[in-house]
Amino acid sequence: MEPYPEAGIALHPDDTAAVFEIYIKTTPERLWEAITDREMRARYSFGVGTESDWSEGSTYRSSVPGVIDIAEGENVEVDPPRRLVQSFTALWSDEVRSAGTSRVTWEIEPVGDDSCRLIVTHSELSKGANGEIYGGWPQILSGLKTLLETGEDLTTPGSLRYSGVASSGG
Amino acid sequence: MVFRALAAPTRRELLDELRRDDGQTLSELSAGLPMSRFGVMKHLGVLEEANLVVTRRRGREKLHFLNPVPIRLIHDRWVSKYAEPLAATLSGIKRELEEEQHGAVPRGRNRAASR
Repeated sequence: MEPYPEAGIALHPDDTAAVFEIYIKTTPERLWEAITDREMRARYSFGVGTESDWSEGSTYRSSVPGVIDIAEGENVEVDPPRRLVQSFTALWSDEVRSAGTSRVTWEIEPVGDDSCRLIVTHSELSKGANGEIYGGWPQILSGLKTLLETGEDLTTPGSLRYSGVASSGG
Repeated sequence: MVFRALAAPTRRELLDELRRDDGQTLSELSAGLPMSRFGVMKHLGVLEEANLVVTRRRGREKLHFLNPVPIRLIHDRWVSKYAEPLAATLSGIKRELEEEQHGAVPRGRNRAASR
């Protein structure tokens, strides 16, 4: 497959980033839904749902209520089904919390007749940032691909570590 | 395509280099290798085709980033099949040991009960 070298956001000078890219057989609309729907999101994000009204300037929170808070931030740019820019503050430990706020950009591009390229750029990271902050993306994106292409959950060890924790009462 | 890309030592070296310091220009990557700029460019092309390297513009520079996602997909496709029963066995052993410690259930019955 020919890469598309000019696609994707341009980084700011001195920006430190990590980039994650995946091809998924789905439509941009389905992909957008999987990113913004709380239940769908939880199925490939370690069981953690993301709550927001997804308007520009609104806030979001990724958590299993009463169990663990994962991240929070603002939806800086919301352009369905193509582009979502969010500020990102990791919350799951004191260590990652102290890293402050970074930025996550989701870009969806249709490829061919039936596929999309999804690029997640985690930028504005401090130099030598704790790898935990952006280390979860490969597993999340792999689970997202499995969900959209097969309708199944990816059950690799750890992928669903928080699912069922909150709802164990009912 | 991923396996072909990983088959060449120089390309693995390039990935190691990006793992050490992600987001480098072609010049920076060439400086560390005993190879022409053109040679490095060709290897980067193979890595890009396999989606193991992705590029981003930063001002006038083109930066190369290690994309670990295709390797994760390989892991999830083949390794998870073996890791899951192992994880299940380990948690089974843990449960058995914990129960034994509390002297609650005889070993044989416990194993049958956990089925």
